[in-house]
Amino acid sequence: MNELTLPLRNLFSQPLRTSLTTLGIAVAVGGFIALSGLTHGVQNSFASGMQEPGGDLVVSTRASFNLFSSSLPESVGTEIAAVKGVTAVSGVLLNVVQADEASNIVVSGWPIDSSLWKAVHLVQGRLPKDASEAGAVLGQSIAEGMHKKLGDTITLADQPYSVVGIATFSSALNQNIALVPLPGLQTLLGRDGTVTLFEVTLQRPLDPARDAAVKAELARAVPKYDVSDTDEFASNIRIFRLLQAIGSTVSLVVLAMAVLAIANTLLMAVNERTFEIGILAAIGWRPARILRLILAEGIVMSIVGGLLGLGLGIVTMDLVSHAEVAAGLMESYLSTTIVVQALVAAVLAGPLGALYPAWRATRLVPAEALRRN
Amino acid sequence: MSPLIALVHVRREFDKGQIVAVDDVSLEVGRGESVAITGPSGSGKSTILNLMCGLDMPTGGEVQFDGKRIDGRVDWARVRARRMGFVFQNFCLIPNLTAKENVEVALLGQISGVRARAERANALLAGLGLAGRTHLHPPNLSGGERQRVAIARALANRPDVIVADEPTGSLDRKSSRAIMDILVGLQRDAGTALVVVTHDPEVAAICGRKIELVDGRIAGTYGPQAGTPDAGRAVPS
Repeated sequence: MNELTLPLRNLFSQPLRTSLTTLGIAVAVGGFIALSGLTHGVQNSFASGMQEPGGDLVVSTRASFNLFSSSLPESVGTEIAAVKGVTAVSGVLLNVVQADEASNIVVSGWPIDSSLWKAVHLVQGRLPKDASEAGAVLGQSIAEGMHKKLGDTITLADQPYSVVGIATFSSALNQNIALVPLPGLQTLLGRDGTVTLFEVTLQRPLDPARDAAVKAELARAVPKYDVSDTDEFASNIRIFRLLQAIGSTVSLVVLAMAVLAIANTLLMAVNERTFEIGILAAIGWRPARILRLILAEGIVMSIVGGLLGLGLGIVTMDLVSHAEVAAGLMESYLSTTIVVQALVAAVLAGPLGALYPAWRATRLVPAEALRRN
Repeated sequence: MSPLIALVHVRREFDKGQIVAVDDVSLEVGRGESVAITGPSGSGKSTILNLMCGLDMPTGGEVQFDGKRIDGRVDWARVRARRMGFVFQNFCLIPNLTAKENVEVALLGQISGVRARAERANALLAGLGLAGRTHLHPPNLSGGERQRVAIARALANRPDVIVADEPTGSLDRKSSRAIMDILVGLQRDAGTALVVVTHDPEVAAICGRKIELVDGRIAGTYGPQAGTPDAGRAVPS
């Protein structure tokens, strides 16, 4: 027999209650992981989606609320291209539209002569031939998801497009995107002459000092707009910060509920086991040892719940990121920071929830406790 | 030499003084002595016993162990863990633990090492004739066996005194005799003091001294002078 034998026996003696409390912790931790992971995943998906076609810097409206609310005149592209060290500039019009009246899809409009098209890895078909063609290149995931083949028609915001190519990408955003020529999309969305952002390609090979100087020069050249690298761009979008704030708040509330669940379970256990605690006190267990016994029960439940929650969070994140409603905007994202935060929160929830019941247990007068047999 | 346990003008009230369970009781228990505390129901026997070992706190007077006044919960816990052993009428075993673990639980924090604790528990249980029953949980043991497990637990830390509250109260006559044989044998052979609360005259007769309580007060003391070690008496057949 060791120090853990009694707490484990106590937990196993009430399997249903222990399982439900542990499950409560698992749901809390899983929720935290899924919320944090998906929030970071959306951000990461946009950052890698922007980076993948070869953009090094992004010029957009300052402090956009969401990605699609940024709007710049196409003419700004000329000012950007004039900056020394910039080798290519491409206006990009992004939006989420209804596809085939069934699901939402991210659609991106690129100028037909944009260098971004060069980074598109076609697995079937071709790129749109000219600016007037109503042809779309679909990311492989969305093509498979919508059962689209070459030559099929896909309706984007009531405009029929012919699927001319299917391409593969590494980012979740681009795997679920429809790429179309810019002018047609501008007309379709009533955004003639404007783009969402400019993707700026810098001189190769990249040189951090030179790139920073180009970035500073760009900021001077287009002072009304925000110049950022792709990671920065994603993290500056306010909706992502809002999502993170919502995610953190919900996670905190859920974790607080887990603490209360542990407290409730252990209070019941202490009430039911008053006699047993009286025996331990009678045979000389000091109050600190009795406190440790109850704390250990809370900690065991929180550790098991935390580990279960880790798995639950990963599975939930995966399911949500593949759901139709995610429109390819979400991808699973699990970082060491998220895992450590979740497990630390879970491990803290145990002693926090157990503290009051444990304290109550140490306050029992042994003679009174022994009378409650 | 100071007595092992001394109650000095001890009083215990309940319900804000409406009930006086123990009123101005002074008594001493010496090393190696056997004392029976007797009296009718409600006379304060168990309350005296609880006060004697810090399971309850007096509302007046003081309790001394080995010449020192003991007050705090932690100090009493230390005394109970190292120097006292308990045997209760209802056995007070933890049902989730096996017989062996019920003994080991008293050794946690007293003997380091899982193996050392297990060896001590097994030896104690074997000494009380429970060698083949160590793996059983209390509900699977007879009343006599449960009380022997409780005695093994009481002996785990080689106490100076065993305090027993109606130790034979839940047992049949044969088991009662066996349990009293063990307790008196310990007092006689190992010099462990024995304080027994009982309403059974046969059990009281085994002890060297008898203290009779009535209405929370000592009505009479019979036997050798307080604090004199005695050799115990044979269990009547």
